[in-house]
Amino acid sequence: MFSYTRSLIGASKRLGVPVPFRSLSTPSQPTPPEQEKTPIQDPTPEPTPIVSTEAASVTPTPAATTPASTVPVGSTEAEQPSDLAVKEWSERLGAFGDKNRLPRSVQAIYLRPLRRKAEYGLPVCDLQLRSYSVRNVEFFADFAIRAAYYLNLPVSGPVPLPRIVERWTVPRSNFVHKKSQENFERITLRRLIQIKDGNPQAVQAWLAFLRKHAFYGVGMKANVWEHDSLGMVTISIRMASSMIESLTIDCITDAGKAMDASVAEVEESLRPELAQFGQRKDNTAPGTIFDTLNNERFTERKSL
Amino acid sequence: MTKMAGLFRPKKLDLSGFVNTRLIRDNNKRMAFEQTEAERQALRYMVRNTSLSGRVRAQAQLQLAQMHAYTRPTQIKNRCVASGTARSVFRDFRINRFQFRMQALAGELPGVRKASW
Repeated sequence: MFSYTRSLIGASKRLGVPVPFRSLSTPSQPTPPEQEKTPIQDPTPEPTPIVSTEAASVTPTPAATTPASTVPVGSTEAEQPSDLAVKEWSERLGAFGDKNRLPRSVQAIYLRPLRRKAEYGLPVCDLQLRSYSVRNVEFFADFAIRAAYYLNLPVSGPVPLPRIVERWTVPRSNFVHKKSQENFERITLRRLIQIKDGNPQAVQAWLAFLRKHAFYGVGMKANVWEHDSLGMVTISIRMASSMIESLTIDCITDAGKAMDASVAEVEESLRPELAQFGQRKDNTAPGTIFDTLNNERFTERKSL
Repeated sequence: MTKMAGLFRPKKLDLSGFVNTRLIRDNNKRMAFEQTEAERQALRYMVRNTSLSGRVRAQAQLQLAQMHAYTRPTQIKNRCVASGTARSVFRDFRINRFQFRMQALAGELPGVRKASW
């Protein structure tokens, strides 16, 4: 009885993700009538039927689209152990692939994530994912990489960063019983995903997308770098492509111009800080530094 | 002194969760310190600044000494938010060691589990 309920719940879980295959492939599957009846016969007057009814209520959710096909599948899944169901699953996928193929984007989910190739390898964004569970962080890293591919962003990673292990030791009861203690730990898993030479707007879109679809129990931290051009350099290169000397001079002057333009702002912002800067009036000694150096104390030290 | 302490107390209780007299008092101290921190720092600076005249520095010292005890940062003590205890409170969770154990065993602290190595 117990195993029956468990497998049913599992079937409902499995139903949740790949609905389209199941509904499409079910007509080819033989569904004997006696198997269809079993879920009705099984519930016996025991405390467990509450669970089974719950599971039964969960299973028909995809039935809204295909009511006739999905219900018998749930019953057949319930009869078989989970190992068999997995094998059958791959067979079904193969049979399905013979006749007509899935959209490429859907097929890609079953394969390793695709990646764009970085042209220059200039890091633009570092995204760090943190979680206490491996499954969540791995899943979300995979998701982030796939999202980056479709946004045309070259990605490197996920790099597994060192785990952060925090441990606490706590006495089990009162102070007197210090000998009996208990250890607790919290392990934070980290993954680093680096975006290379991507468009800053695309990077922002990617980060916004990841925030929108944030996964439970996974924290995100992003460092974004923006690279600015050196003023008019690119234009000067085009204009003076023949004369190398003038080009280099142009580069220097234009880069200087861009920086000079920002000097006024920086000075303005620093003014209040610089106003505080100075020397204490009571701390000034009369004469120059040479007077103090030629002092008696210093000269005595020298002779020794 | 007790009269003055009332000045720092908010008109309406702004704490939630587990509330205790001692927890409220600690909260008052935190509020008092927050309100007078700039003044305190200014006085401390004047006391230590040797370029100021001795009279000014002495006055600053007196004023600093006359400030209410609740405005001192040393009065603040971390307390357990679940039980109000002041001893062995973990900074990571702001919880007493006993509360930590109970909550960790109940699985209420994300990621915390029994360790063995």
